[in-house]
Amino acid sequence: MSDLIATPLLWLAVTLVVFEAADVLSRRSGRHPLCHPVLLATPVLIGVLLATKTPYPTYAEATQVLGFLLGPAVVGLAVPIWAQRATIRRLAKPLACALMAGALTAIVSAVGIVWLFGAPAEIMASIAPRATTTPVGMAVAAQLGGIPALAAVIVLMSGVIGAMTATPVLNLLKIRDYRARGFAIGVSAHGFGAARAFQVDQTAGAFASLGMALNAVATATILSVVASLI
Amino acid sequence: MIGAIALLLVCQLAGEVIHRLTGLPLPGSVIGMVLLLAWLALVPRERLTLTQVTGWLTAHLSIMFVPAAVGVMEEGAILSRYGLGIVVAVVVSTLLTLAVTALVFRAVAGRDEPDSEKEEAS
Repeated sequence: MSDLIATPLLWLAVTLVVFEAADVLSRRSGRHPLCHPVLLATPVLIGVLLATKTPYPTYAEATQVLGFLLGPAVVGLAVPIWAQRATIRRLAKPLACALMAGALTAIVSAVGIVWLFGAPAEIMASIAPRATTTPVGMAVAAQLGGIPALAAVIVLMSGVIGAMTATPVLNLLKIRDYRARGFAIGVSAHGFGAARAFQVDQTAGAFASLGMALNAVATATILSVVASLI
Repeated sequence: MIGAIALLLVCQLAGEVIHRLTGLPLPGSVIGMVLLLAWLALVPRERLTLTQVTGWLTAHLSIMFVPAAVGVMEEGAILSRYGLGIVVAVVVSTLLTLAVTALVFRAVAGRDEPDSEKEEAS
């Protein structure tokens, strides 16, 4: 029996069951950002590990196949970018300007604020890619000497906050163009933002997906350049 | 199906190799994304299976980073010390990025699109 405890079988089964239950709750909530399945499943799984006195590295090793899939998923972001090439060409100027402005704002404001709070370099490295999609954020944070787990949680928080505040903030600014609204949500709050945008309008959703994909590349590139200069 | 998966893995592998050989500081998977983009541009044809596979991966992204998110259980010390700063930074940065991106897009694109006449929902 005890030989089962460290196997991928046990922990993958537990993770999938907990996640599926979280996903059902999320669906019942009408996909409210605060009921995102990762936000619900993560504390439950931490509780299970603590209750069974399972060290995190044991769990991480058993479930690494899930994390492995993130790599090909990031590569696959090329497909939606390619599918939108006509839009990108037509709106090259506004997209490029908004992307650069948004990517730089996200990095500088997030790093600047934790710096003001006296945070060490590894926290600044973990928060710098906060606006990218989670797998890219984790990879970039690792690259910069940050903590991938912390980056994952920070990126999730960005998504929840972005998805919940986008509509009131953009209304306040009187942005009525669904292309601008969607793109801004995607650049600032990645996949969470895109999911929210699709609930409101198809055009907004498409531009949010584009914003998410382009910002993954933009932020990773900007931070790589910065890192190589330091 | 296997062909599409192989294409993704080969792009990622090539990205990792480039990352290691050239010291290019981008993550291998992001270099792989750029390589796939180049491949799609160079070899233009219908790619239904690739679209299905990447669509499936994107749709199930959430569960893939659950094991990583569970890793915060090891970061209790950092979170209790810098948690407040992190929350403030994430909230302010998210709102600011939203506003700056939308305002710059509108300033550069102008307001000439029919979409801009629509009422915003919700």
